[in-house]
Amino acid sequence: MPEQLFFTKLLNSIFAGPVTHLLRGLHIEPQYPQAPITNALSMEVLVVGFLLLLFIIVRSRLSVETPGGLQHLFEGLHGFIEDQSRDVIGHHSERFTPFLVALGLFILIGNLFGVVPGLESPTASAVVPLGCAVCAFFYYQAQGFRQSGVGYLKHFLGPMWWLSPLMLPLEIISHLARVMSLSIRLYANMFAGDMVTMVFFSLIPIVVPVVFLGLHIGVALLQAYIFVLLTTVYLAGAVATEH
Amino acid sequence: MRNTLGVLKNVFMALSALCFAVPAFAQGGTSGGANWVAISAGFGMAIASAGCGIGQGRATASATEALARNPSARAGIQFALILGLALIESLALYTLVIIFAKVK
Repeated sequence: MPEQLFFTKLLNSIFAGPVTHLLRGLHIEPQYPQAPITNALSMEVLVVGFLLLLFIIVRSRLSVETPGGLQHLFEGLHGFIEDQSRDVIGHHSERFTPFLVALGLFILIGNLFGVVPGLESPTASAVVPLGCAVCAFFYYQAQGFRQSGVGYLKHFLGPMWWLSPLMLPLEIISHLARVMSLSIRLYANMFAGDMVTMVFFSLIPIVVPVVFLGLHIGVALLQAYIFVLLTTVYLAGAVATEH
Repeated sequence: MRNTLGVLKNVFMALSALCFAVPAFAQGGTSGGANWVAISAGFGMAIASAGCGIGQGRATASATEALARNPSARAGIQFALILGLALIESLALYTLVIIFAKVK
């Protein structure tokens, strides 16, 4: 039996049977059939549930005359990401804001869960940042195709037609390397933060680890911002049209 | 000239004293060998962090100089600085991930 957090034990006690059946139906044998839900998955579910609760509370208390504190916070966040995407992408960038805000909030809250005792960051496991990076990759490719149709493939051929046999494999590799760099940057920052906190906790258990928790919070904010910023830059590369 | 010769004499005496440590290598062969993966992981991480430190230092230096020359361009300079620092940081982090994958 693997080591499980409290929420993972709760989910596994209710859902272990159906989830194992589902996995076996897909020809995947779970490593521990009594505990098929991993810590990362249960923490992801908790992040999504927490965010949904937050969104429902804000939506039910929306008001134009007397906005509450939470509404100010969400308006500020929405405005910040909309301004930034307008700076990077240009006009007509408002249609990307919902995806970017959702991605940014998921990664931010996921990172910050690591600070709370009894919870861990889902982004500190290798697969969750990979999932976020793959989502961002397919999103900006889909937006590129939506904008330019099949002509989007000309982006991969480089500036001049006689360079295209050289540019095509380079462009494909660089686009795939974006997925790798996005996911490894987020995973390594979160995982290394956890490791460093544990190392210093094992050396000096009294006051010094608090400094590393503060560092973890700072790195969590910065890495969520960088992920959203880089996704915006890749969107700009896919969608931008020269006038 | 006399001072250089004296210094050189001391240097060579110190180097020959270091050769007294050679029998330590004999010990490693019989007891199973040193953990070369861990040793090279330490050196690799140190070199990666050194390169990252130099790169981020240069980025921050030119960002602060640009800010000093033109304080009204703060938003653009700050944006470029944060983006550049995160990209350079991730290069050192790739080395850390390889270490976690390979060192037991």
